[in-house]
Amino acid sequence: MHPATEKLVSLLKEKSFAVEACDYAQRGYHLEIDLEADRLRELAQCLLAEEMYLVFVGGLHVAPAIEVVYQFASYDRACRLVVRVAADGDNKVPTISDIYHGANWHERETRDFFGVDFVGHPNLIPLILAEEDVDLKPLLKADDDLKESAALRWVTVEEQPETEEKADKD
Amino acid sequence: METAQLNLEPATDIPHDNRYYLNMGPQHPSTHGVLRVLLEMDGEYIINPQPVLGYGHRMHEKMAEHKNWMAFMPNTGRMDYAAALPYNHGYVALYERLCGIEVPERAEYIRVITSELNRLVSHHLWLGAFLLDLGAFTPILYTFIDREKVLDILEDITGSRLTYCYFRVGGVSKDIDDKFVERTREFIKYQRQRFDVYNKLVTGNIIFIKRAEGVGVISKDMALRYGVTGPVARGSGINYDVRKNEPYSVYSKFDFEIPLGQNGDSLDRYMVRLNEMEQSLRIIEQALDQLPEGPYLAKAPKKLKMPVGDSSFSVEAARGELTYYMISGGGDIPYRLKIRVPSYSNLSVLPELGQGILLSDLVTAMGSLDLVIPEIDR
Repeated sequence: MHPATEKLVSLLKEKSFAVEACDYAQRGYHLEIDLEADRLRELAQCLLAEEMYLVFVGGLHVAPAIEVVYQFASYDRACRLVVRVAADGDNKVPTISDIYHGANWHERETRDFFGVDFVGHPNLIPLILAEEDVDLKPLLKADDDLKESAALRWVTVEEQPETEEKADKD
Repeated sequence: METAQLNLEPATDIPHDNRYYLNMGPQHPSTHGVLRVLLEMDGEYIINPQPVLGYGHRMHEKMAEHKNWMAFMPNTGRMDYAAALPYNHGYVALYERLCGIEVPERAEYIRVITSELNRLVSHHLWLGAFLLDLGAFTPILYTFIDREKVLDILEDITGSRLTYCYFRVGGVSKDIDDKFVERTREFIKYQRQRFDVYNKLVTGNIIFIKRAEGVGVISKDMALRYGVTGPVARGSGINYDVRKNEPYSVYSKFDFEIPLGQNGDSLDRYMVRLNEMEQSLRIIEQALDQLPEGPYLAKAPKKLKMPVGDSSFSVEAARGELTYYMISGGGDIPYRLKIRVPSYSNLSVLPELGQGILLSDLVTAMGSLDLVIPEIDR
């Protein structure tokens, strides 16, 4: 791990954020945090001070509550951090658009696609979707397709099946 | 006959200044796509520019949740139409990472060569279009001569000229031949001479410098707050390039530099992209020299069985960092695919960037951001 990343990890642990290291080769990011919504703004402030930029904000429709996924990265070393925050019963998550100004649009997009209400956002109107589609929420899953949050987490990796015999002939 | 009474009394409820709203787009030539910018103006000066997005929205992320990797491949070429191969690259590489599929070395070289050619094509388009925005008509004619040459080379191999669907999980769909190598080498020699033409025509042009210098300044702090990447961030002196920071494919084997600007103005972004073209040529040259023999496509199962979990893959697209983030619930179709496109974050600086500048300078600033609207709308 890069020394600056180690410093970041110890800083986050000091503030009692549950940061965990990940296998970069398979997951493409180095650190992950499962976070309570009320500590999100504190974390964002901390990451901005450490010069991590916001890669994206995205939603994920899972049971029991919609999750909002944030990815942060560093400009000067390979360091990616994924933060997952579960929305509360009313689909509310605090905004970080006043800390990371780039989050403004990402949050509006997540509001468009998932109906997540970012509390404190200055202008939470449709960005990508048309105004009349404000309640469309196209990325919400049908009940049959909806999975539990825990069912989408990494478990011990199974071996990939060997090349199918059919494919050999191509 | 009754005539309408003209009210010549001055209206008292309108403040006596020059504020008004102006719509730039959605069909404005300098937005290069259906982007609308709602401008609150005070005379010639902009008070508040607000981009209005979504005119070309196709919901690629939803489509990804219903298709296996091959069925979604054509979609990846239809976001950033000017540089589709890096989009191919990130997508197949994500599956390879998730499923642990080894890619033959020759395939990785072919990917790098064609991606860099595609970056050149994209920069040709940007260079011509940017100067067209500034009122210079001639450069686009020159850059398109050069662009056509690369497109012909790529067309022979990939089968398309714009919306490529060339990469496959495990490699590429067609091997390159000696003719491709020869033509590419010829092109490298040709393009190096053309930089002199660009420089004589544009870089030293006093009118161009006066219009670009000091216009649309993005500071390092501003770039950090908005998550700006790519040549826009590098123009502000941020030494960030995914090809160097998190070397994917075989980029770590090549010797190339990351051109940087200092002031973060439109001129710096112009210089960064122009210098990047030379660096792309260097990468292609080295890749052709080292090109290994071997298979161009690994034997991957037709129906991929993905493990449960999430994975992320970032590549350096022509406009900056492109990240695919996939959450898989097993099977061969993703549970969710998030696509982070560079222009989205790069354009989001506009409300702050455009405050208090002249309308004509906004055209310069937007041109220097190198926007591709279908990638923003997705």
